[in-house]
Amino acid sequence: MLLDYDRLGWLRMALAGFTALVAAFLLLPVVFIVLLSFGSSRWLAFPPPGWTLKWYEQLLADPTWIDAALTSAKIAAMAAILAVIIGLFASFGLIRGEFRGRQILRGLLLTPMVLPVVVFAIAVYAFFLRIGLAGTTIGFVISHTVLALPFAIIPITAALEGFDKSIEDAAIVCGASPLQARLRITLPSIRIGIFSAAIFSFLASWDEVVVAIFMASPTLQTLPVKIWGSLRADLSPVVAAASSLLVCLTLCLMIVTALFRRKLSR
Amino acid sequence: MQGNSLRRGAIAGLPAGSGGALPAVVLVGLFFVVPVVALLLRSVTDPEPGLQNYAALFGSGTYVRVFLNTFLVAAVVTAVTIVVAFPVAWMLAIMPPAFGSLVFGIIILSMWTNLLTRTYAWMVLLQRTGVINRTLMGLGIIQEPLPLINNLTGVTIGMVYIMLPFMILPLVGTLRAIDPMTLRAAALCGATPFQAFRRILLPLSLPGIAAGGLMVFVMSLGYFVTPALLGGTSNMMLAEMIAQTVQSLLNWGLGSAAAFVLLVVTMALYALQLRLVGAKRPAGGL
Repeated sequence: MLLDYDRLGWLRMALAGFTALVAAFLLLPVVFIVLLSFGSSRWLAFPPPGWTLKWYEQLLADPTWIDAALTSAKIAAMAAILAVIIGLFASFGLIRGEFRGRQILRGLLLTPMVLPVVVFAIAVYAFFLRIGLAGTTIGFVISHTVLALPFAIIPITAALEGFDKSIEDAAIVCGASPLQARLRITLPSIRIGIFSAAIFSFLASWDEVVVAIFMASPTLQTLPVKIWGSLRADLSPVVAAASSLLVCLTLCLMIVTALFRRKLSR
Repeated sequence: MQGNSLRRGAIAGLPAGSGGALPAVVLVGLFFVVPVVALLLRSVTDPEPGLQNYAALFGSGTYVRVFLNTFLVAAVVTAVTIVVAFPVAWMLAIMPPAFGSLVFGIIILSMWTNLLTRTYAWMVLLQRTGVINRTLMGLGIIQEPLPLINNLTGVTIGMVYIMLPFMILPLVGTLRAIDPMTLRAAALCGATPFQAFRRILLPLSLPGIAAGGLMVFVMSLGYFVTPALLGGTSNMMLAEMIAQTVQSLLNWGLGSAAAFVLLVVTMALYALQLRLVGAKRPAGGL
């Protein structure tokens, strides 16, 4: 009976109550930071003595915050595009290719997701110091593409596995070239996977802190590096304002994803 | 014949079949494998060839304490995450979708929110004059503010917060895959709910708990940001120590040796986790 929702009895109330508590625990910090960003207390007192927009004004008036956000967006966009393209090719190779060591190859391509980021961070930092890419946009994009690649490969291979290849073969039998069949039949069929890959690899770069801390230079820093620096200095409410905008962005992304999925899966 | 030429035709197209993985292999090989291997070599060559970095690492009380503390934190975080995640996953697995999707939405929102934002929120909430201490003091439950930050408590709260989605989501899958009939049968045969839980539900969900728990443990071992911001200097974790050794002390040899230890432990546990998960997967699937 334990897996029958309607017959759980008192346990259902207990489980529901506990789930509600955990949901509140998960939601609490997010809501709280948004509320505080409008609070007038410099020391982040709660409930705030008054409401204000001055932290947002300070944030938007500070060119270093704007620069960091633009840098992050640029790097994340490039890393996501590269990761999706490279990941798309790799997924075809992994799913369609018939060669030995396929599993090992897949394991290798997914390792950047498993290895502790700090190990990769100091490794790639040392390497880029030697070849002159440390502190450059290219260095950032390359290292973030490596980290984002697993997040592109996983949804695309999953989508490709679910796609019936005989449909593609049928198109070829009907006279399409293999290239046409792939572009016009297969790619549209796995578009949800490609879309997820794009979102996840963008986020993988956009939120990445550890590699960024090492890779950043005084003239080139991403938003997480900027936040990291502010957090180490003090708990300024300006960070709360920046954080709230990031929460807002996450919400937008979730809504767009939900709408897109609904539209694409029709 | 026909099938054969068809297959060859399809592979020749774009994106190419077996050759498609080539760009990814070049990228990962050149910018992941090469740097990591070079780093590991550095641990036995910097400043001079030999194992002196490893001797220093395991011979020093400070570093051994960091190792032990890292395992302790990862173990505590994993245990708490499992205990908190299980009831939630259970509820989500059987709940009507209308409420369920709201909870899923909250889980995804917290998971997708910027890591630093979440950690910052906990820093503000947990600090000496933070909301939690003020509320508890206002209610008269405590007289003095509790030390909630820069110690194990702070790291545990912050890390459990981050790890929960990674435990809940796979567990929901495990629990949904269990046939409710087995539990109905147990009840018909006279099992009390507690017996049915202990002898049927728990054993059947154990593979999911083990796989998820191992993943949380591995992720916690190498975590940098949250322990660095919510933990104290007296209970530093391995990842932060590695970063400091390299960045502030510029001791690349020692930092590389510590990184190698972290890599070996992580990879061994990951292989174990793959075996656990792999056993459940249908053969032939990627």
